[in-house]
Amino acid sequence: MSATPDNTSDLTRRTVLRRAATVGLLATPAAGLLSACVGSGGDEPQEQAEGEKTAENPLGVDPKAPLEIVIFNGGYGEKYATDVHQPLYKTKFPEAEIKHSATQEIATTLQPRFAGGNPPDFVNNSGTKFMDFGALVQDGQMQDLTELFDAPSVDDPAKKVRDTLIAGTVEQGVYNGKPFVLFYVFTVYGLWYSDKLFKEKGWAPPKTWAEFTALLDTIKAAGITPYSYAGKNAPYYQYLVILSTAAKIGGPDVLKNIDNLQDGAWTAEPVKQAAELWAEIGAKYMDKSHEGLIHTEVQLQQNQGKVAFYPSGSWLEAEQTQSTPDGFNYAVMPIPSATSADKLPGTAVYAAPGEGYFVAAKGKNPRGGMEYMRQMLSKAGTKGFIELNKSLTAVAGSSDGIPLTPGLTSASAALSASAQDAFNYRFPDWYKELDTELRTATNALMFGRENATQFVERMQKKADAIKSDSSITKFSR
Amino acid sequence: MRHGKYPFVIGFLLAPVTLYVVFVIAPYAQAFYMAATNWRGLSPGQFVGFENFERLFQDDVFWKALQHHGVLLLALPLLTIAIALFLAFMLNVGGGAKQGVMVGVRGSKFYRVVFFLPQVLAVAILGVLFQAVYRADESGLINGLLGGLGMEPLGFLINPDIALWSIIGVLVWQAVGFYVVLFSAGMASIPKDIYEAAMLDGASRVGLFFRVTIPLLWDTLQVAWVYLGIMAFDAFAIVWTLSVDQGGPDGSTTVLGAEIYRNAFVFSKYGYASAMGVALFFLTLTFAALSLRVSRRESVEM
Amino acid sequence: MTIGTDKPAPVQPAPPPSRGARRHGREGTKREVGLLSSVGHIFLVVWAALVILPLLWTFLASFKNNEEIFGNAWSLPGALRFENWARAWEEAHVGQYFLNSVFVVGVSTFGTMLLGSMAAYVLARYKFFGNRAIYYLFVSGLAFPVFLALVPLFFVVRNLGLFNTHTGLILVYISYSLPFTVFFLAAFFKTLPNSVAEAAMIDGCSHTRLFFRVMMPMAKPGLISITIFNIIGQWNQYILPLAIIPGTDVEDKWVLTQGIANINTSAGFNADWGGLFAALTMAILPMIIIYAIFQRQIQSGLTAGAVK
Repeated sequence: MSATPDNTSDLTRRTVLRRAATVGLLATPAAGLLSACVGSGGDEPQEQAEGEKTAENPLGVDPKAPLEIVIFNGGYGEKYATDVHQPLYKTKFPEAEIKHSATQEIATTLQPRFAGGNPPDFVNNSGTKFMDFGALVQDGQMQDLTELFDAPSVDDPAKKVRDTLIAGTVEQGVYNGKPFVLFYVFTVYGLWYSDKLFKEKGWAPPKTWAEFTALLDTIKAAGITPYSYAGKNAPYYQYLVILSTAAKIGGPDVLKNIDNLQDGAWTAEPVKQAAELWAEIGAKYMDKSHEGLIHTEVQLQQNQGKVAFYPSGSWLEAEQTQSTPDGFNYAVMPIPSATSADKLPGTAVYAAPGEGYFVAAKGKNPRGGMEYMRQMLSKAGTKGFIELNKSLTAVAGSSDGIPLTPGLTSASAALSASAQDAFNYRFPDWYKELDTELRTATNALMFGRENATQFVERMQKKADAIKSDSSITKFSR
Repeated sequence: MRHGKYPFVIGFLLAPVTLYVVFVIAPYAQAFYMAATNWRGLSPGQFVGFENFERLFQDDVFWKALQHHGVLLLALPLLTIAIALFLAFMLNVGGGAKQGVMVGVRGSKFYRVVFFLPQVLAVAILGVLFQAVYRADESGLINGLLGGLGMEPLGFLINPDIALWSIIGVLVWQAVGFYVVLFSAGMASIPKDIYEAAMLDGASRVGLFFRVTIPLLWDTLQVAWVYLGIMAFDAFAIVWTLSVDQGGPDGSTTVLGAEIYRNAFVFSKYGYASAMGVALFFLTLTFAALSLRVSRRESVEM
Repeated sequence: MTIGTDKPAPVQPAPPPSRGARRHGREGTKREVGLLSSVGHIFLVVWAALVILPLLWTFLASFKNNEEIFGNAWSLPGALRFENWARAWEEAHVGQYFLNSVFVVGVSTFGTMLLGSMAAYVLARYKFFGNRAIYYLFVSGLAFPVFLALVPLFFVVRNLGLFNTHTGLILVYISYSLPFTVFFLAAFFKTLPNSVAEAAMIDGCSHTRLFFRVMMPMAKPGLISITIFNIIGQWNQYILPLAIIPGTDVEDKWVLTQGIANINTSAGFNADWGGLFAALTMAILPMIIIYAIFQRQIQSGLTAGAVK
């Protein structure tokens, strides 16, 4: 499919509609006539702002061009954008007007604008209602960021932006060979607990599966729910954990095969084994009623000392700042080794740059959007973000010299212990249907409605269906 | 009719028809076309003919949703009408004879006001409200009560066997008041003499209910059935805001509206979503046509 | 009826509901009535409790803190935390959303009734070419699932320059209320007697005048009940405003349902449950008060047309 919309038709949508109205339409929806109005991108090619390229302005931004920013108003809020990144851009281009907005419904709000050829310049595509990256790529809606990554970085003109990032960051945003998305926040996943509670009770973070279940038994005997996740809206926290175990048992290729929709990727032995282990945790150590709770409700219970382990990413501490009691001391541990024959060490963690940002290729000011990203990746940009959100960024060493909170210290320790063994997967960004099915299947598995075999077969069936669906763009890594 | 009929007719129809065609018919016509494409929301989709429909008929979720509409179509009207009818009867004639005059039970006025109340609450509000009512531990309104009685908490929204019924519960909860009012008015308009005649024949009060009230309310009951039936084909908003995993657990509460929304706005499969919409359109149309046909019988001569 | 017709309106407004169906009872039925009444009375109380308790709980929860909300549901708040209300009022803009809803629904209901009754009247009482086609065009709209049209609708609204405006929302509300309105009002206008219309025409009354001065007043009960239907329907509408005024930069134009849904999602991130229930209470209370004031009119108006 061609990336540029078909502009040959001189029918504007308005005339089509006017004509449609006069014809009455319902009787004979003339295909040719209507194809012009079914999402035919921009009617007129968008004027794109461009300025002169200089050492100061390597991306050639038009200093006067307005810039429209849309931020996902979720766990990180919008303050980091309005109070840190936007002032940086504004300082550089005082004449540029920045139009900022924030929403929780990214797809609902923006999908029509992209379809209508009137997108904002810069989008933080995140949250449960983010726009399908696959569809955006397929449609040529995202700006190729190669130029940005090759531009000199803000703080050291001798160094390219690309070289300031933690390895793997650019690759994470590559679709079909081109980098389209900047994943800005570096997230470490694992099982979170209160260091204070564990110290008081004399519990040590377990390293093997046997230690893990033994500790869960102890916790249960102490009258605390040993393990929980929020079934209502956060089963993906749990499937991340199941797949982490699968990766530990069978190595990171297990996840790569799943991403690549390989035949039998889900029914592979490591996945099934991991599902069995976790189904048992679900049956023995979880509270059934938590399937109906949302993540903040479960987190509240953990804050109250009623839940011991909670799977999540390193944004958790920041999200919970207002609710955690003093001295709670969040800490994270990697998923314990499943067997002694595991292909990955017990210290390996799921770590990945997350929280996607992209620049609209068909926006009015794509160069401004890229410059905004360059500013985000500067020292001042990352420092402000880290301080406000207590999260790590994808810029190497960006947290150096910044005092970190207990949870973040623990996360960055886990990350360095994991070293080269950090792993991740991409399929939820690539195939949202697979993600949706996995959420449902995970709840069914963990709350005892389906067993491990049913779980893997069900997922394999969905993966196969996606593979054979010609309307879905495929990706591979 | 003389006096220049056509200018008048056109004058009266122009504005409503224009608005309607521009804002309703044109978008839907496009949606019908979309159903035959693999459009993913952004660039023009390719024309794929009936491929979406072929896939639809093999889609388990689609059939599951249909099944749920079947349950809704039976349960929602039956429960709502039965409860509303009983309540309305109590409010109008249930008070028995007082000083020789039949009245509703004491406090009828109050009840009538209270019962109608849920009707004025928006679904967005109900979604939040019933999350609290149905919560699966003792912090839930119902389970708090059950716990107080020493009973095990029920997973209203998380047990796939009862989740759909919990959703139906909310719909009934909201709808009953409206039909109480509707039936009350119907009962009030039944002429006294008919009751009197039946009483002279020795009919008991229960007998009156079945032999006089119900037959004379027949038309109203049918109107109620049609309204509730159309409601049964929707139910999207409450499923989307209230159920676990938006239609779960395990798809046990999903309805076509939710699947359309999911396919369109989560999976960006507008073509496929439109095909589902077209299917829903024909279902609703069939139901409406059938029920209108059935209800077009002569009303009981009074 | 304000104009001097000698015929009674075909639909009698329902008598005040509380009067009920009155008649003389007889001694023999007393015991039976007693039993029925006690069983029934229990049921009435139970149902009333089912309605009131969740609302009362929401009100109480608006004073609770997170721990209390997720503690035992039947406990009372430990303190009257009015700060929840202050937060909800300041951050959630409930008042603004409420006024927006009132404005949008007010204007669009008026528009719906005016345009809807004009169309319904012509379709019901005049024979002309295309009458049936137009009628069925309207009626078929009853079966359209709304969200199917969302994306194309967005284009229409945007191309007309009405995106993110109340005007756009109002026009869309009117359009989407027309099928229902036309369908029921057409049926209603059909039942009006011909003799009055004929008499008026013989007196030289124009078609327009006939409609506004004779037919509209005669159709008053039906008009009132459909008006109430439309108010309730449009007040509760969620998807359409989400499609037409989605921008967070136009938050000051949002209607109440959008606001509540937004507060609900933000509670998911900020875990401010007390604030959520305070906002919820603020959204519910005015509705209850308005309803309590007008309940008699609402109920009798609602039924007058529909019972026919």
